[in-house]
Amino acid sequence: MMNMTAPVRESFNIPYHDIGPVESNPAIALVSGLHGDEINGVYILSRLVHFLKEVEKGSYPKFKLVKRAVIIPAVNVLGINTLRRAWPFDNTDINRMFPGNIMGETTQRIAYSVLETTKRADFRIDLHSSNLFFEEIPQIRIYDPGPETVKISRMFGLSTIMVRKSSPVFTTTLMSSWSYWPGHNFLLQIGRAGSIQLDYCQRVFQSIMDFMGKIGVISGLQISESDEETFVFQPSHSVNVYAEKAGMFVSDKTVGKWVLGGEELGYIYDSFNGDVISNVTAPVSGLLTGIRRHPMLFEGDHLLRICRKPE
Amino acid sequence: MKNGSISVNTSSIFSVDMPYSERLKIRRTVYRGGDGPRVSIVAGIHGDELEGLYVCHLLANWLEQLAETNPSALLGSVEIYPAMNTLGIDTLTRFIPVFDTDLNRSFPGASGGALPKRIAHAILSSISGSSLVIDMHASNIYLREIPQVRINNEFSDKLVPLAKKLNVDIIWIHGAMTVLEATIAHSLNSMGIPCLVVEMGVGMRITPAYCNQLIKGILTLMKHVGALAPDFEIVKPDRIPVIADDTNVHYLNASTSGIFIPDIEHWTDVSKGQLLGSIVSTFRGETLAEVISPVDGVLFTLRDYALVYEGSLMARIMANKES
Repeated sequence: MMNMTAPVRESFNIPYHDIGPVESNPAIALVSGLHGDEINGVYILSRLVHFLKEVEKGSYPKFKLVKRAVIIPAVNVLGINTLRRAWPFDNTDINRMFPGNIMGETTQRIAYSVLETTKRADFRIDLHSSNLFFEEIPQIRIYDPGPETVKISRMFGLSTIMVRKSSPVFTTTLMSSWSYWPGHNFLLQIGRAGSIQLDYCQRVFQSIMDFMGKIGVISGLQISESDEETFVFQPSHSVNVYAEKAGMFVSDKTVGKWVLGGEELGYIYDSFNGDVISNVTAPVSGLLTGIRRHPMLFEGDHLLRICRKPE
Repeated sequence: MKNGSISVNTSSIFSVDMPYSERLKIRRTVYRGGDGPRVSIVAGIHGDELEGLYVCHLLANWLEQLAETNPSALLGSVEIYPAMNTLGIDTLTRFIPVFDTDLNRSFPGASGGALPKRIAHAILSSISGSSLVIDMHASNIYLREIPQVRINNEFSDKLVPLAKKLNVDIIWIHGAMTVLEATIAHSLNSMGIPCLVVEMGVGMRITPAYCNQLIKGILTLMKHVGALAPDFEIVKPDRIPVIADDTNVHYLNASTSGIFIPDIEHWTDVSKGQLLGSIVSTFRGETLAEVISPVDGVLFTLRDYALVYEGSLMARIMANKES
């Protein structure tokens, strides 16, 4: 995608895959690893590349790669290799550097190349995980969407679609820069950073396959009929629970389960003397879409997100 | 504690339990001489910027001497906030530790929720009501800056006349950027509280000469807004700032990676075509790139951290405007 010198290492590049019939523009662009600690997306996209290359080779005679796909499994290559979320040299968040600048700072040049490589695709997908602290149900996030975008986002067959409002802080993200180009943009938020949650990855892999079947990138796919219902959650459906006290948070609940208002979901312990300081309960009934996994708490830390069932 | 007629009080404006046994407090010192205007001095929003911490000390020291010699000259109060990102300063971390969040992208904040927003909210609540706020920054570890005030052009009419009194070398008026709406300065200026953003020196270092230079400007402004008595004699400013804007600031980004060896002193006049420094190889004796000034002007930003990546900023030059 780009080649860049390094101070004492050899020149490096950010490799990507350009698969399928060469047309003027790709039908789909998939990006992950803008943050070096978000591994789920790297795993999903590298496995997707493997599958698509097998299809191209004819290993699956029933399937055919009909349209062009551009896939960048990891943008922050040096971050992936040194276990850093941001660009390691100056701790810059690459996803705050868009639209980038070919003559600008290193991370602006990287951002520019990512945007140039992906912006002409009809459908653009940016895969993320939360952070080291919080686990999110695999979900599609769409920002200020029109009805068509909501309709298309249902084609992934994932159970959870989150509608969000864009904010000034996000104007320098890849998603925001894409929005100036014709086409449709989706952010997939998958689990948490720092490790692979295999069941989430398998679910998202399947949903990307289904989506690529429906938009005609791959032909011959048996589109799996999701047995799960899809919910479109507006911001008003989300109820967040924050830690009333500092300490250690421990919970045995799993994300993706429906919980009842008042149900006990975890405990906060005093981490010095072990007392139970607080029982954390669900304030409303709904789908548990996110839960804190790092136990050490400051007061006010985000513990849970429960989404009330849309009417 | 009472010092003549100036009261001195250090107290916390925000306090929260940490996960294990400790409590995080953000503290300020208030020097109060009377009911006149409040001036707030802010530093340490980024945990790797130290220049402002020393300015806080110098100002506190000056006020304590005033309390001994001429306490009635302080008509209002001065609030000193040396360490907004308290935990970051104590752990040498630019952003808020654990949250890895830039405090200066967290304003106006919120009274509940995650720590960075709560800290931002507490700071704004504490500062609001001030007649003037000075937010001091020390660049980062990579670049050395001549003392300057940076002003969003949205607020330039009100802020430039104030900035001219702050005894800096440059006033840089820059375009409005949406991401900067989350800074403390934008929040305060939007609320009608004038906030001047100072950039000077380099991260992880203190440059006493710059700190002493800024003190003269802070005292001048304290007098200007009426926190100090009008007839009270202070040291006169000795700088007349030049005005830079987006039309005459030139960025010199590295064309290749290596180590940057400057050939020139910071804050000197340069001419078009002049060699400013070189990017050299560490494996061979060769020079990889020469850094040449594109214009006649003055070098006001110079790289301090030698290692550069392709794209790294090495210098900024303010071009001479056609007169």
